[in-house]
Amino acid sequence: MDYTIHYKAQNIYKQPVRSAYWQFLIIPENNDSQTLEKAVFTNSLGVPVQQSVNGYGFETFRVAPKTTFKTINFEAKFRVFKEIFNPFEQLNYRDSSIDRELLRSLQFKVTHERFLKSTPTTELPLVRALPFKFDEESSLFDNLKTLNAWIFNTFKFKSQVTQINTNLSEILEHKHGVCQDFTHLFCAMARKNGIPTRYVSGYLHQGIGYLGDSQMHAWAESFVPGTGWVGFDPTNNLLAAENHIKVAHGKDYADCPPIKGVVYTTGGNTTTYKVLVTSAKDTMSQGQNSDGSMQQQMGTMTQHMEFQDLFPKNGPKDQ
Amino acid sequence: MPETQHPIFSSYQKDNRFYDEIFDQEGNVKEMYKTLFDLYSGHSVQDFAKLNDKAKASFFNQGITFQVYGEQEIKEKIFPFDLFPRIIAPEEWEHIERGVLQRSKALNLFLWDLYHDKKIIKQGIVPLDLISSSVNFLDQMNGIDPPGGIYNHISGTDLIKHSDGNYYVLEDNIRCPSGVSYVICNRTALKRALFGVFNHYQAHTVTDYGENLLQILESVKPNGVDEPNCVVITPGVYNSAYYEHSYLAKSMGVELVEGRDIFVEHDFVYMKTISGPQKVDVIYRRIDDLFLDPLEFKPDSSLGVPGLFSAYKKGNVCLVNAPGTGVADDKAIYTYMPEIIKYYLDEEPILNNVHTYHCSRPDELKYVLENIDKLVIKPVDEAGGYGISIGNKLTKEEIEKVKVTIQAHPRKYIAQPIMSLSVHATYIEETNSFEPRHVDLRTFTLLGKDKEFVLKGGLTRVALQRGNLIVNSSQGGGSKDTWVLK
Repeated sequence: MDYTIHYKAQNIYKQPVRSAYWQFLIIPENNDSQTLEKAVFTNSLGVPVQQSVNGYGFETFRVAPKTTFKTINFEAKFRVFKEIFNPFEQLNYRDSSIDRELLRSLQFKVTHERFLKSTPTTELPLVRALPFKFDEESSLFDNLKTLNAWIFNTFKFKSQVTQINTNLSEILEHKHGVCQDFTHLFCAMARKNGIPTRYVSGYLHQGIGYLGDSQMHAWAESFVPGTGWVGFDPTNNLLAAENHIKVAHGKDYADCPPIKGVVYTTGGNTTTYKVLVTSAKDTMSQGQNSDGSMQQQMGTMTQHMEFQDLFPKNGPKDQ
Repeated sequence: MPETQHPIFSSYQKDNRFYDEIFDQEGNVKEMYKTLFDLYSGHSVQDFAKLNDKAKASFFNQGITFQVYGEQEIKEKIFPFDLFPRIIAPEEWEHIERGVLQRSKALNLFLWDLYHDKKIIKQGIVPLDLISSSVNFLDQMNGIDPPGGIYNHISGTDLIKHSDGNYYVLEDNIRCPSGVSYVICNRTALKRALFGVFNHYQAHTVTDYGENLLQILESVKPNGVDEPNCVVITPGVYNSAYYEHSYLAKSMGVELVEGRDIFVEHDFVYMKTISGPQKVDVIYRRIDDLFLDPLEFKPDSSLGVPGLFSAYKKGNVCLVNAPGTGVADDKAIYTYMPEIIKYYLDEEPILNNVHTYHCSRPDELKYVLENIDKLVIKPVDEAGGYGISIGNKLTKEEIEKVKVTIQAHPRKYIAQPIMSLSVHATYIEETNSFEPRHVDLRTFTLLGKDKEFVLKGGLTRVALQRGNLIVNSSQGGGSKDTWVLK
């Protein structure tokens, strides 16, 4: 299946921006089920785009304008070929006691250390009894599938009520959130049960009835022994398949926000952006198109006030 | 006792609970200090008061100051310098030098392992928890091969001399150990004030530190670079060690830069100069890991350079020390140093470790809670002597408070027996005389590609308050010139 992804962002600043440096983590990765065939990235200022691998090994675009500006638009177009596959066919069903023993071994825990530890956004509240329990009798995969369904059925998709750093106790209490929140919860519960699980950032080709953040989507990948990494989308109660186009993964959202940037200006700003994913089968009118005007879910954007904050008092301590 | 005849030593009260570096058990001056002692005894009290003022003024005028955190306003202070030097005998130094080098090498191999195969954890020698719960373990460093295979190019090892007369290592500092500029400035100040005294001893020079540091930096240049351009990056003038940053840049003859002076383009690092961008190959960074690159670490850091980590990962620039070294100088890791040395070097540790109780282990936690009055409680991840509680100095209420804190976060604390730091004759302004004060020793070890160096000397830090055991400069300590004899 061929997909075209069209990504557009517009940043308007109240005051001139003196200096800025952006990183876009929006390029679909090449992996077993998807091939990036074409990538074009442009901006309205004509600043040359740098391509660079970030600390976790994912390709990024970087833009650092050398002139003062108030408005900058970014536009990316990707063409991705995605295999059509049935994730259930890849599963290797086997005696789950072997798998459980493997999860308990030190070798396994050390190898998968990064995707077993909790982070601020994937930390389960201590006081609360775990709201979902794994069934020792069934396979790890079946448990993960049940967890996926449990999240889908228990929590309501509601945008604009949570932030990128909302913690899980809040999600568990209010029982609503967006794909990032559900994915964080999925990661936390799976890791709690010893299954290495990573947060995935990517695009969702929205078929009829799919829920998603209208911009970039998030789901989880768990390491199922004997099978490998399997994608679970708790927002839609699906296994990740041909409609899930992966960009990057990490421990949580903070490892893979689509945009990170350092911007030196004094005033506020408005940012709008949209993502359009179309398949060769779609006609343009069927493609899901949505606009957003928000700070939330946008990425880690830090705005520096000029002169202020340049010399933080509580900076790093020497030893 | 003969020394009481000299007025400046009249209020020197010997305390046999501590190892005295100058006087033996009977109160006689040790052989090594005799010449010095005689020379000093010849001076009057007034002479000393005058010399002391001169030394202080010289430090202030040179701008050799530091700043203290945690106070409402930032205060610029001079690091009090003591006129009575500490002397270390050649054979004693040889032992220290071999010991600190051994530790630095073992830590370097440990770091390589932690960021590659993690064999020492897979074999159960160091617990997995120590890295998975460490904020200083950087996931981004996994699989990166730093140039020359070196992580801790610069190590500052803190040693004390216990009442048994043996040296013990208190901690290994392998993030941004500071203090070396004071070592050199102390020597300069002492030679200025008391050249006639210095001349009577054959002490090793300490002024070769800068050239050795530069050689270390150049030895870890990126592949394909012939003549590397090295710089020192500082958080800026408000950092407590800014003087040192500028001093080191000057003594190496390289540029001192701040984050805003350099930029990254296509994974190469450049310095802004009046004649255009100039490529930078090796960066001695005095900025903490999390402030290095806002794109990779703390997004609100304005001290760092966007894109720096990618340039490092690609091998286009070398960062000194490597990011992520902090995981190995965690005080909880310290307690595994004997095992770490044996594992990687197949050698016995040359220097002693202080026995440590891990509050994360239930039986040891129990002991700690029952014996707080005999122990020093330390947080595992604070630098600069912050957050330390010394058991026998606490009131009952304070002990209860400490107990609650430890029980709430056992992983965050370790406890050690109260080590009695040796004492050294120290000039005290208030009494206009020499009194015993506790001292420690920070040594500086450099590791490069096919090169190693230990500074023959070190920073002897003095706890200026009577009876105080914390010698850190942030906590109001002073320092002494330290002579390693030839």
